[in-house]
Amino acid sequence: MLVSYNWLKYYVDLPDSLTSEELGLKLTMTTVEVEGVEKQGDMLDGVVVGEILEIKKHPDADKLSVAQVDVGEENLRQIVFGQMVDMEVGLKVPVALAPTVLPGGNKIKKSKLRGVESRGMLCLDQEMGLAKEGVSIRFFDKTMKNGTGIVEALGLGDTIFDIDNKSMTHRPDLWGHYGMAREVAAAYNKKLKKYDPPEIGKAKKTEGTTLELSVLVKDKELCPRYMAVAIDGIKVGPSPEWMQKLLLAVGLRPINNIVDITNFILLDLGQPMHAFDKKHLSGDIITVRRAENDEKFITLDEQEHELTSDMLVIADSEKPVALAGVMGGMNSEISDDTTTIIFESANFDATNVRRTATKLGLRTDSSARFEKSLDPNNAELALRRAAELTLEICPDAKVVSNVADEKNFSLNQGPIELSLDFLNKKIGKVIEKKQVIKILEDLGFGVKDKKDILFVTVPTWRATKDISIPEDLVEEVSRVYGYGNIETVLPSFSVTPPERNELRLLERKVKELMSKEYGYTESINYSFVSPDLLNKVGLEINKHIELDNPIAKDRPYLRRTLLPNLFENIEKNTHDRDDLYLFEVGKVFKGEESGERVSNNSDDLLPNQDVEFACVYSSKQDKTPFYEISQSVGDMIRNLGVDVGLEVVGETNESYIHPGRVAYLSVSGVKVGIVAELHPSVQKKFGIDVRVGFAEINLTRLLEYTKERANYIGVPEYPPVLRDIAFVVDSNVMNQDMVKIIKSVDNLINHVELFDVFEGEKLGKDKKSVAYHITYLSKEKTLEAVDVDKIHDEVVKALEKEFKAEVRK
Amino acid sequence: MKQELEKLQKDFKKSVDDVKDVLKLDEVYQRFFSRKSGEMTNIMKNLKELTGDARKEIGKLANEVKGELEYIYGKKKESLENQKWEKIAQTEKIDISQPKLPKKRKGHLHPMTIVHNELEDLFTSMGFMVLDGPELESDYYNFEALNIQKTHPARDSQDTFFIKDHPEWVMRTHTSPLQVRAMQKYGAPLRSVVTGRCFRNEATDASHEHTFYQMEGIVVDREISVANLIGTMKELLQGVLKREVEIRLRPGYFPFVEPGFELDMKCLVCEGQGCGACKHSGWVETLPCGLSHPSVIEAGGLDPKEWKGFAFGLGSMRLAMQKYGIEDIRHLHAGNIKFLEQF
Repeated sequence: MLVSYNWLKYYVDLPDSLTSEELGLKLTMTTVEVEGVEKQGDMLDGVVVGEILEIKKHPDADKLSVAQVDVGEENLRQIVFGQMVDMEVGLKVPVALAPTVLPGGNKIKKSKLRGVESRGMLCLDQEMGLAKEGVSIRFFDKTMKNGTGIVEALGLGDTIFDIDNKSMTHRPDLWGHYGMAREVAAAYNKKLKKYDPPEIGKAKKTEGTTLELSVLVKDKELCPRYMAVAIDGIKVGPSPEWMQKLLLAVGLRPINNIVDITNFILLDLGQPMHAFDKKHLSGDIITVRRAENDEKFITLDEQEHELTSDMLVIADSEKPVALAGVMGGMNSEISDDTTTIIFESANFDATNVRRTATKLGLRTDSSARFEKSLDPNNAELALRRAAELTLEICPDAKVVSNVADEKNFSLNQGPIELSLDFLNKKIGKVIEKKQVIKILEDLGFGVKDKKDILFVTVPTWRATKDISIPEDLVEEVSRVYGYGNIETVLPSFSVTPPERNELRLLERKVKELMSKEYGYTESINYSFVSPDLLNKVGLEINKHIELDNPIAKDRPYLRRTLLPNLFENIEKNTHDRDDLYLFEVGKVFKGEESGERVSNNSDDLLPNQDVEFACVYSSKQDKTPFYEISQSVGDMIRNLGVDVGLEVVGETNESYIHPGRVAYLSVSGVKVGIVAELHPSVQKKFGIDVRVGFAEINLTRLLEYTKERANYIGVPEYPPVLRDIAFVVDSNVMNQDMVKIIKSVDNLINHVELFDVFEGEKLGKDKKSVAYHITYLSKEKTLEAVDVDKIHDEVVKALEKEFKAEVRK
Repeated sequence: MKQELEKLQKDFKKSVDDVKDVLKLDEVYQRFFSRKSGEMTNIMKNLKELTGDARKEIGKLANEVKGELEYIYGKKKESLENQKWEKIAQTEKIDISQPKLPKKRKGHLHPMTIVHNELEDLFTSMGFMVLDGPELESDYYNFEALNIQKTHPARDSQDTFFIKDHPEWVMRTHTSPLQVRAMQKYGAPLRSVVTGRCFRNEATDASHEHTFYQMEGIVVDREISVANLIGTMKELLQGVLKREVEIRLRPGYFPFVEPGFELDMKCLVCEGQGCGACKHSGWVETLPCGLSHPSVIEAGGLDPKEWKGFAFGLGSMRLAMQKYGIEDIRHLHAGNIKFLEQF
């Protein structure tokens, strides 16, 4: 919202020495965030009033014209202009004289446009920074001397504060200048002028009631108050200069006196109003009702909307004439020939207005205010002010109706009990009672002082939702007192060490090990996946939890596994790198398993959201990436103190898993994860040229098995004896079985390690040669060669018996 | 015998002087000291034949000579051995700029992980418990328990992801649900931080993401004041940034705190003079915070008359972007190895 300094000054006397920067900072520190302070007319020194004396077509450009302009200089200036606004000879307009720089940094230089010299520019409001949007231009009266500086001609001299709307969504009272002025008055300890326009019945020029207005509010919940009054003798014309200036200062284009009055009050008191042309309303009954489904309505901006029954409209006896709290209708718009108007000043339900505005994509200055929960009492003040201004501006105007007022609201104004001890403890500093009371009263609160407890009555404009508990008052007092005046005090905390979050520590260890020890790089992917991706991997879509309102339609499902995104990562990077080692740790979502409670007093449970780990690996040099993954991931898990082994998988249901290259990671028979290769057919679908290995572990479950390192087993006292053995077996004989058999031969066999495997034609079909290091170790004595030879022979026999091994001697 | 010793002493010294390498030196040594027939050895053997004072005198002298000769030998040997390293600078020179081959593979942590680790370490050292909770949250914890009414705009679908067929579920829009979960689970007093993934239904561009990260802190104790909050926040920021900072509070509105603040930090780039980084205000909006709203304390199962608290939030994704100068937020979730391997 833009706030005019001059407008504020109308309600509060502020010392001339106070700079606008100081005021802006004060507002930021006590009330709302001021995003910018702009002095009007800044950088407009090079713009003057100029009169167009001649217009010719540009010889070489259809869309350009060439004007001779009198800017009060000895010679006329030749200026080339475009088609933004229609120009004619005799008009007086703002002219930027080259060379100059306009607000926003636009440099105006003497130049040639398609060969025709141009020594300046005819300026739109937008080019002078006087309006943010649209296309508008000011014309000056014939009496305005050519060459008059634009700052003087327009009477610019105001300063405009740009307030961040997001910082005042909770403050319905700040959406007009009067509310802002109240804050300024409190902050600077100044008096605030009363907002007290005369009651309408008592105004002069009220000539009895010729019109009986009645209002029928059908949905009182959505419309707590509706006031209306009719005024006759209106002559539509431009509004007075002082009003236009203020409106323009805060970025609103003047339209006509009646519309300007409603806009002025919107920005003055923050109360939206509407004026209907009486002659377009049929009947004298105004009905506030819900729209019919599919009811059509054309708003002031000439857009047609299809309404639904959850929207509220204002209707005459035949038709809707306004969309409550959002925008009026074209059918009853004020026009040049309007003579009788009906002012509406009402209060509508905040949520309903917001939803209607959002649904129709029609967010207006009016809806922005109503959705903050306005004080219904302001409806009356606004109507009184509107009548006052109308009678002032239109000399023949007179009130010709009763003041209709349908109201159905109550506000909780307290009083709130505020203990001074509570206040001081919350702030962490003792503030004198006198000062507390003064601050509250300046902000409009009523305060009854009963010893150490204040009974505080909330003003109506803060009672709609903003202030209801003592904590709210703590904020009021401390912000005006100044947060900067509170000395900092460190709290006294106990020294107990915090409870450890074991799962988070496990996640961290896994990440550290994978990156630092095994050379994998961490990737993080969205929790959302697309149906395309799921289809590619062959995962069942209907098992996935689905978003009701995904961002784009492309990723509506919550991931059940980290793998698909990682496969996609491989595909994206495969052209840049020969080798890719990636991992991710994150939550996955499974609807069929249960997670945390929905609330502490409900038995309903959220879906399971265990933390999973997954990694993927591919290399142009590696046709069996399984081994790298099983080694790294196996070692990583063992590093966590978990004795993990690989277990054969009988059959896999998942079509993305290579059925011949898959194993479970198991801890004492319990499956904690899986190691496998991507099925070549799925790999093809991803467009990846090389085999991809992957692993997946549920860390939430693995946590149960992790432990600090087990006890050490003592340094061997006697030297070990090493023997190698090499033999040929059938290809399908498994390493883990052979190791098991070798180890089972004798207790002195301390360690068995595979160190070579190969297959080849020489060995015969489906045969492989394997070689092991065997370490013999005794705890009692130094082993002699004869002892070892004996056991070694038995190893050979056992291998021959179990696996028909041919030992190579 | 005395003369013999003196002669031997001279002979030894001369022979040692003439020697040019260790091998020859050892020959000389053998000649004098070999156990069987070394010249010195023989003299020592002959000592037995002497008696009385002569034996004492000559014996002493012989031992002195032996000691001296052994010393001379040792010195010479050391100097000869050192000679052979003299040229090592040339003969064994390597290219120190060459990497170890084959190259060792290096892995990388994601920048978000690095930033979260740092934050968690800092807060753990200050006695905060590190928590995380569901990313798919209940409407209750994400909104209601945090004093965000049913009609609050944040609950409209343009801001929040809802779950199909489960109107009571949402993707959490902030880490704040953990405020209430933590109080319910751990009671008071409480100090905890949460780092985690959050979701907002907004279109993604260079500076907006529908998936982002936050760090949230909550402190619950018997007496907590605005003055405490300012003091703690200042310490925390100095811990995070590892330097002195100046902060200021100004009003900010969040339904789950009262009073609520925006905390600004004096711009570290220009030290408050005003620059592009602080939009020429000298201050940078850093984190929202406030004293816990009594209804939030109550939702946490605690009596707001007895327990007070404060809470603060930090956009850890923005922090990571600032720390590394990442200009486009989309890099963080793109899974591009050329980005990931820089950290």
